[in-house]
Amino acid sequence: MASPSTDTKIENPALAEPRNEGDQNATTKTPKPISSPSVFVNSEPIRPEQVENAVKFLSHPKVRGSPVMYRRSFLEKKGLTKEEIDEAFKRVPDPSPTVQGATVNQDPQPKLVANAQLQAPAQAQQTSAAPTRGVISRVISQPRFHWTHAIYAVGILAVSGAGSAVLFKNALIPRLKSWIRKIASEDENGVVRKPGSKPSATEEAAAAAKTAAEAAAQVAKASQEMMDMNIEEKRCFRNLIDMLEVQQREMREMSFTIRKLEDQTNSSSVVRTYSQDYRLSSSKQPYTNGMAEFNSLPGRSSLPPASVNSSIPPYPKSYIEEFNDLSSNAYQHMPNSGVAPRSKPWEAGQPPNSSSTYQLQADSDLGNINGSTSRWQQKNVRIAELENEEESKVGPYYSSQAPEQTARRPWVPPQPPPVAMAEAAEAIRRPKPTVQKEQQLTGDHKLDQPLNELQSVTDISEMGGAPEARPSEIVEELEGNC
Amino acid sequence: MPAFKIPFNGYSVKFSPFNENRLAVATAQNFGILGNGRVHVLSIPPSPGAPIVETAAYDTADAVYDIAWSESHDSLLVAAIADGSVKVYDTNLPPASNPLRSLQEHTREVHAVDYNPSRRDSFLTASWDDSIKLWTVDRPISVRTFKEHAYCVYAAAWNPRHADVFASASGDCTVRVWDVREPGSTMIIPAHDFEVLYTDWNKYDDCILATASVDKSIRVWDVRSFRVPVTVLNGHNYAVRKVKFSPHRGSLMISCSYDMTVCLWDYMVEDALVGRYDHHTEFAVGVDMSVLVEGLLASTGWDELVYVWQHGTDPRAP
Repeated sequence: MASPSTDTKIENPALAEPRNEGDQNATTKTPKPISSPSVFVNSEPIRPEQVENAVKFLSHPKVRGSPVMYRRSFLEKKGLTKEEIDEAFKRVPDPSPTVQGATVNQDPQPKLVANAQLQAPAQAQQTSAAPTRGVISRVISQPRFHWTHAIYAVGILAVSGAGSAVLFKNALIPRLKSWIRKIASEDENGVVRKPGSKPSATEEAAAAAKTAAEAAAQVAKASQEMMDMNIEEKRCFRNLIDMLEVQQREMREMSFTIRKLEDQTNSSSVVRTYSQDYRLSSSKQPYTNGMAEFNSLPGRSSLPPASVNSSIPPYPKSYIEEFNDLSSNAYQHMPNSGVAPRSKPWEAGQPPNSSSTYQLQADSDLGNINGSTSRWQQKNVRIAELENEEESKVGPYYSSQAPEQTARRPWVPPQPPPVAMAEAAEAIRRPKPTVQKEQQLTGDHKLDQPLNELQSVTDISEMGGAPEARPSEIVEELEGNC
Repeated sequence: MPAFKIPFNGYSVKFSPFNENRLAVATAQNFGILGNGRVHVLSIPPSPGAPIVETAAYDTADAVYDIAWSESHDSLLVAAIADGSVKVYDTNLPPASNPLRSLQEHTREVHAVDYNPSRRDSFLTASWDDSIKLWTVDRPISVRTFKEHAYCVYAAAWNPRHADVFASASGDCTVRVWDVREPGSTMIIPAHDFEVLYTDWNKYDDCILATASVDKSIRVWDVRSFRVPVTVLNGHNYAVRKVKFSPHRGSLMISCSYDMTVCLWDYMVEDALVGRYDHHTEFAVGVDMSVLVEGLLASTGWDELVYVWQHGTDPRAP
């Protein structure tokens, strides 16, 4: 008896007072629940107005529909103590998750309902008796409840199956038998009957069968008509799809030519991306060093949850708004915690990665730059400076082009070799006449098609007057290369 | 002394409580999102001109988010791994027999590890599965699990004076104070309106604790009157990732933030910001103050560098 008390005294010199009380109760040998003396327990009495607010909150219909963890977490965030929260939960007679069995009502039989009702108050008593146990006890009690509930459900199903089988046996089959006997007896009677008597059951049956057959024939006709209609509809749909595909092809070609035109004007920035990592996202501004690979990797779809909010902390929402957001999230959930209020970023799905095809267009457009490396370099420097300014305003995560860094880790923008460019330019130019020759071989009318399509592009495009000048340049170049 | 370049992105640094020249660094590939991790044990040279040398390195299959030195054995380290495991390393053993132990119980990433400085035989792990587990080094399973938080637990910190009391910081915006002898938390402090990323106790006043949050502020709380903070320290431009109290001066704190700075604060003074170091070029996520050498600071960040410098000097000076 003496040793436990002295041990506790040594461990907690600051908590001298509670240990004195503990001395008196040392015979019980259980840790005395620290109600007031320890500094690390809030010794405030329960605040009634807070409890009333919590009760009002919990009685709200929208709150009623939410999981209990959400409600607890909200009240904790508002500064209520555990005792106050438990008191509020006690006062609000809600169908808490420990009484789930009553709500998951599978069986009509009064037996189970009575059982559920009996268990519900028992469960409620259990939870109220142990307010400090927290969520763990609830989670543990749920599976127990479910288990017994499953056993009951199986039993009830078996009983109901047996009952229905008995019903069938006792009620329906005798009916069937009597009906058959009736028919049989009428048959026999029909042979002995005098001619001219009322039509027998067989004749009636035959007439009925005829009408049934006619009805069936009509049904068959109607279904056949439906089939024909379906076939026609299918034909129409197929036509539609073909036409849509044609449209799609045309749209793709349009976009391709538009991109070409764009790239001609933005040639310098495209050439810069030419030497970058292939899997850059579709933004035209390159981000340096190791950051480039960040987007393309699967795995945890984002940084740990904190940093997602770091640069733009959201303004505080009211509880209901929070709920609407939370409940509308697609919510796939962890096995452990019974109900967690928020879905983690990794569960919400990964952000889509888009890769650009600027590589191809960069290659094709290099040919248009005739050794203007100095001009390109100047543009590059200017754009890099502009980007420095922009990115210094954006979060630190993206800005890795601080002048200090460039001083310590020199990053030289990649320069394409000037000599090779001229050859590349010619090499790139050469395939075009071969392509056109192939087109000529296959048919003269096809050669006109790309030009016609370009002209139609310019007609259809809504981009205004400026782009129209460029297609004419392209046309001239094509003609020039022939 | 010059910075030490690590191959991966740094996550945490801790000075050894036994050896003033030893430092452990937790690192992760690809910013800790995917890939391997590595634990480095570095040796700080006695003369300021010499470079930092690596004495041991242990590779892990997943990112290492935090590291803690044992208080009972000078060669033991505990690492918090992103695959949910907790690994114990012994620097005296050859690399083939490391890790000494791998404890797999958490179902999500383990984000923090803290060793009990008073009892010296137990440590806590805080995980994104909303739970905190208590372990002892000799047992292969956890002693207790504390599951009350409604969101990821980002940190757990033992009280330096009371061996059974600890605090935890969580993404559900609360800080809870627990007692190991109690079944649940004993206090719930609604510390911030946004996620709380770290918490630490004052080494000289056992009732004061500091919290670092996504709302860019550091708040200092007194558990005896926890409704209102003792003080709110603003000055960081982005979320504050860690805040630690100095083992040498009662009111001095160091903090690191996503604004790439490491700041020193004295919360008793009118103008609390007493130092600011801008040496990192990426998120500064790990910071520590040495217990054995007064004024020795260490920091690491996602720019793959570890700096060790004396307070008042330039960390980047060679």
